[in-house]
Amino acid sequence: MPGDGIRAFKEEYLRMRMKWFAALFMVLALFVAACAEEDEPTDAGGDNGAEETDNSDFLACQVTDTGGVDDRSFNQTAYKGLEDAEDEFGIEIQVLESQNPNDFEPNIQSLIQQDCDIIVTVGFLLGDATAAAAEANPDKLFAIVDFDFFDADAGEDISFDNVKELTFATDEAAFLAGYVAAGTTETGKLGTYGGINIPTVTIFMDGFQAGMEHFNSENGGDVVLEGWDSANPEGGLFTGDFENQDNGRQVTETLLGEDVDIVMPVAGPVGLGSAAAVQDAGEGSLVWVDTDGCVSVEEFCDLFLTSVMKNMDVAVFTAVEEALNDEFEGGLYTGTLENEGVGIAPFHEFEDTVSDDIKTQVEELRQQIIDGEVTVGQG
Amino acid sequence: MSTIAAAPATSRVSIRRARVLGIVFMALGFAAAWWFGFGSESGLDSTFGLNSRSSEVDLPPLALPSRETALLLAAICVFLGAIQLTRGFGKQANLILGVAVGCFILAFLVWAARDDSLNMVGMLQSTLLRSVPITLGALSGLLCERSGVINIAIEGMMLTAAFMGAIVGSAAGSTWVGLILAVLAGGLLGALLAVLSIRYRVDQIVGGTVINILALGLTSYLSAQILARYQNLNSPGRFPVIEIPLLSDIPIIGPMLFANNLFIYLMFILVIGINIALFRSRWGLRVRAVGEHPKAADTVGIKVLGVRYRNVILGGMVAGLAGAYFTLGSVGRFDENMTGGRGFIALAAMIFGRWNPIGAFGAALVFGFADSLQNTLAILQVPIASEFLLMAPYIATILVVAGVVGRARPPAADGQLYIKE
Repeated sequence: MPGDGIRAFKEEYLRMRMKWFAALFMVLALFVAACAEEDEPTDAGGDNGAEETDNSDFLACQVTDTGGVDDRSFNQTAYKGLEDAEDEFGIEIQVLESQNPNDFEPNIQSLIQQDCDIIVTVGFLLGDATAAAAEANPDKLFAIVDFDFFDADAGEDISFDNVKELTFATDEAAFLAGYVAAGTTETGKLGTYGGINIPTVTIFMDGFQAGMEHFNSENGGDVVLEGWDSANPEGGLFTGDFENQDNGRQVTETLLGEDVDIVMPVAGPVGLGSAAAVQDAGEGSLVWVDTDGCVSVEEFCDLFLTSVMKNMDVAVFTAVEEALNDEFEGGLYTGTLENEGVGIAPFHEFEDTVSDDIKTQVEELRQQIIDGEVTVGQG
Repeated sequence: MSTIAAAPATSRVSIRRARVLGIVFMALGFAAAWWFGFGSESGLDSTFGLNSRSSEVDLPPLALPSRETALLLAAICVFLGAIQLTRGFGKQANLILGVAVGCFILAFLVWAARDDSLNMVGMLQSTLLRSVPITLGALSGLLCERSGVINIAIEGMMLTAAFMGAIVGSAAGSTWVGLILAVLAGGLLGALLAVLSIRYRVDQIVGGTVINILALGLTSYLSAQILARYQNLNSPGRFPVIEIPLLSDIPIIGPMLFANNLFIYLMFILVIGINIALFRSRWGLRVRAVGEHPKAADTVGIKVLGVRYRNVILGGMVAGLAGAYFTLGSVGRFDENMTGGRGFIALAAMIFGRWNPIGAFGAALVFGFADSLQNTLAILQVPIASEFLLMAPYIATILVVAGVVGRARPPAADGQLYIKE
């Protein structure tokens, strides 16, 4: 009977398939188990640390900007502040990633409903959403990175009792980086580009340019900057988002084509496209921003002249700590060179390239900026 | 009768159109003369660099007197307009429109670079590179749509393939393995789209959108869970630049066309290959028949659904190649949403290129040029808001779709279910 043969074959086939499925599931299950196991020790460690005072009912939450929590730059640094607080105090943390600007408000709302004890919103673009949420929920605590509330109608600076505004005088650090870059360039051309034309991005570029100009006037140099001019803030070089790395690569190749040899990308992960471009070109170097590039993206460490660091992790950590100890106060915090809220990273692999003269001058400059003898920008 | 009656009507339309075009050429010429010719002070030079960083031969930069050059280019536009109005270019009119717009843009560049320099070759090189993912995405779209299935999931396919390319390429330690898996991942999503839209008759736009959202969510989640934790799974490396001997030494076009990575050569091969296959082979005839009139195709024995399945999966694979470009060709690592909407721009390029591979490539070049022009202008500190330049290609697309520059007509059965009676 041919029919029987076919049926037998079918059954055999089905059994084989079942076996395959079973095997596949077991592999998957093992994989998941392996992942889960990896998590456990850290959790246990967190709990151990919290034995003295149990803070596990304290929930600190974060809403990211669109770059995502693993962007090696902006969101990640802020998240590190939360993670440090988790390790240190044994609190619970939670993060919601925003895929696009429409997520900002719902993300904040859902964290409010989850009874977060403090909500950290990361990024200038979340400013309005945070202000609205803080006003509607006066009993909730917020901390916003990179935003200083300003009432445009009344034309005056405002603040809320339940929001800490974590801002950074990044231009002070960028000024030092601009000075170093101007003192190190071989072609006499520096370049920079940003993700989106917003103040927290352009403040890097302003400082960078001012530092370069300071170098020129001190040493009679004629180093120029491509891609940004503080006098013409409309016309800067921007990729349009904080995501498309290919764009960053192309922009960087254009800059390199114009004889630029040191580029400062101020665009979060888009800057990694610059790293690829510079690596393939085999010449030139980068100034990384937000974090020490040699720590956050070690694979490109040999490309980083230095980094303009914005120590958001420390600021976020402090805000959480204050909230935990009931010492929270709303208002403005500004990270500066003086309180080490901002700074430049060590030169790492460029230690020998940067001349000793420049190194000492930068140290002097740092002190002069702290003492107010040198101003870094329009103010 | 009807054909005789119709003839004067069409010619009247085309006469009016010819006049309008002539006036457009002249307007472009006068605008160029006014803004870019007299807009720059006399005695200034515009310098254009002709060297790529990779080129062996050093060409001296080309220095042109700004005002005179812009005026000359403007004069060409006006001259073309005059001929169009008096004699008419007939069928060549669209080509001449391209020439006139080209002259206008050149005059603009001369004006923008007055008393300054800009690297022309670098700009064209970046135009070509930027067009790669857009062209490949557009090819993916037209492979699907020519057979009657709308594919708006190009973005999701690209993103998934980019992720697969990065993670598999790193794990296997070979960019080639990464590339193959990326293409397969694209094909798999293509198969999913095909099953959804052909087997389960889900609305094709809805099916595509779902795939886009799924791809974004899945890759973001996996990259946060896996790639963020195991950094070494996110360094697949990049394909090296392959210099074609002799050809890459040709000044200007050598470094532009013949010193690139694998993806650009693959793009050229695919553009030409798909063009030939679609319009010169039996396979292409069948595909187009299925896309235009599936019932007729079925009647002569073509398996309509089979052709659609095959084409959508093929389209997915081409989108997979486009995705691999991001991780294996350009950046060498994956990050969330790194395709940044290029898949949607590819759709626009497909429409702009009128569902034709060569046209799609041309449209992608226009989009790439707009991006690269915007960068160059920002470096030259031209006081024009960058948003306007970025908008320009889309305005052009709208004009094309609206039928101003010839008509863009999708395949007749595009997006329609085929249910055998």
